[in-house]
Amino acid sequence: MLESAELHFNVDHGYLEGLVRGLKASLLTQQDYVNLVQCETLEDLKIHLQTTDYGNFLANETNPLTVSKIDTEMRKKLCKEFDYFRNHSLEPLSTFLTYMTCSYMIDNVILLMNGALQKKSVKEILAKCHPLGSFTEMEAVNIAETISDLFNAVLVETPLAPFFQDCMSENTLDELNVELLRNKLYKSYLESFYKFCKNHGDVTAEVMCPILEFEADRRAFIITLNSFGTELSKEDRETLYPTCGRLYPEGLRLLTQAEDFDQMKTVADHYGVYKPVFETVGGHGGKTLEDVFYEHEVQMNVLAFNRQFHYGVFYAYVKLKEQEMRNIVWIAECISQRHRTKINSYIPIL
Amino acid sequence: METPFGAGLANILVVLPARLAVIGQPERRRLLSLSVTEKRLWLAMAGQDLRKELDSLLLQLLRDLEELEAKRVALNTRVEEGWLLLAKARYVMGTKSVGPLQYPSCMEPRVFVRASENQDTMQTFRLVRADAQTPEEVEPREAALRRRKGPNKSPEPELSAAPQDPLNWFGILVSHSLRQAQASFQDALQLAADIASLQIHIDWCQNQSQGLREKLRQLDSGAA
Repeated sequence: MLESAELHFNVDHGYLEGLVRGLKASLLTQQDYVNLVQCETLEDLKIHLQTTDYGNFLANETNPLTVSKIDTEMRKKLCKEFDYFRNHSLEPLSTFLTYMTCSYMIDNVILLMNGALQKKSVKEILAKCHPLGSFTEMEAVNIAETISDLFNAVLVETPLAPFFQDCMSENTLDELNVELLRNKLYKSYLESFYKFCKNHGDVTAEVMCPILEFEADRRAFIITLNSFGTELSKEDRETLYPTCGRLYPEGLRLLTQAEDFDQMKTVADHYGVYKPVFETVGGHGGKTLEDVFYEHEVQMNVLAFNRQFHYGVFYAYVKLKEQEMRNIVWIAECISQRHRTKINSYIPIL
Repeated sequence: METPFGAGLANILVVLPARLAVIGQPERRRLLSLSVTEKRLWLAMAGQDLRKELDSLLLQLLRDLEELEAKRVALNTRVEEGWLLLAKARYVMGTKSVGPLQYPSCMEPRVFVRASENQDTMQTFRLVRADAQTPEEVEPREAALRRRKGPNKSPEPELSAAPQDPLNWFGILVSHSLRQAQASFQDALQLAADIASLQIHIDWCQNQSQGLREKLRQLDSGAA
């Protein structure tokens, strides 16, 4: 089927693929990061970023410059680029791009619900929502009392509607239930996205399916790690694991029984891909499991650009850009806290 | 001819009343019955006692200062570590997921500082958790009386539910960096209470040593 991809892809999506490859080439290089690390203040950081593709994105910011403002402006810039892709895309790329925004929508819904629990004003929360995941019904999220309310009244018209299948219940929304809702929604979303890519077939499936399998397994590991010492029961934990990864079904069953990090590591050792990943945890520099997973993700996303005529480049670009934003925010935090020992813990991309 | 003892005697007669003012009745009667030489010896020994006390006080002061320095360094390290771990938590969980949106604008404290005075009128500070068992000041009889008075007595704040763990503001499944940050800040809190107590003890030691030096000066100017 390779011939059909090469023949027809550029008709509908060639322009956008060219654009995204150009944007990927303008990601920060190792030299840029070295310059950023040497900054003494956030103003210096702003000046150095002006020489990169970021340009004057902080020009309208009032003093004093904070890390939160830098993060918000970077997000807005990414959102502008992504909206340009979405506005110029045709099916099935449009559906693919919509799938990409769903994860941000889920985060925004949870942010709004937690904000309602803490009695924050909707305006305050809306200002901090991720722009990639904005949808028109966002302001109404905080009035819902139970999950069925939330679905029937607010989210039934949004792309998130099909993911509510397993989450419907009449329980009131307290912290535990909000956390369970977040993870169940994400599990449905990931499995649905995986099915879409697989059904599309072609190079897209070859590139996207391993990436999404890793994402599912990563979530399973991180949920397990974070649930040690909390009130989340093992049965509840099992319902949160996405099933579209390599760990399904044996690995997930073993993970449900794990009670500490070493037992988790034993489960990972059964899988050739994850054994070396877990080996590098700890080590020199005190890398956490999350750090190691981010590095692995960056590797996979960079490799996605080696194939042509598939939608994975869009997904990979957005994820790499997010990692770059995390790197810049980390360097900015180390500079503003004047604590430079761990400033080199960013993950270089190019 | 001026005898060496003559001058000494005159001084003793000046110094003794000052010394007598600070000692009790039985001692006074005993002193007045001593000879001049014996009186001079007594003054020298009193001076030596004072000097020994001053020495031990100064040593205690220096020890406390060293401990204070060490505790200050530890406090700085823990607080810096806590902030960096918060930044790490933001890196993993998302910048807007660990911030002012998550905590309520009016919080209930989980830890209280209790100041108590000991016999030297020196204050010490202790940290008391909000969900600790019945406070020591309430006697069992009083508690029984409260219960007998019935529901129209205003509810005591200590018996209400303990405030929730602030870690849950950020969700149930939070990153380990956030938990470690909480532990760092809790240690820093304990260190802060210790430093406050230590500072008060140092001030007290300084005042005591000041007083002792005054007395010694009077004694020396009298004996010279």
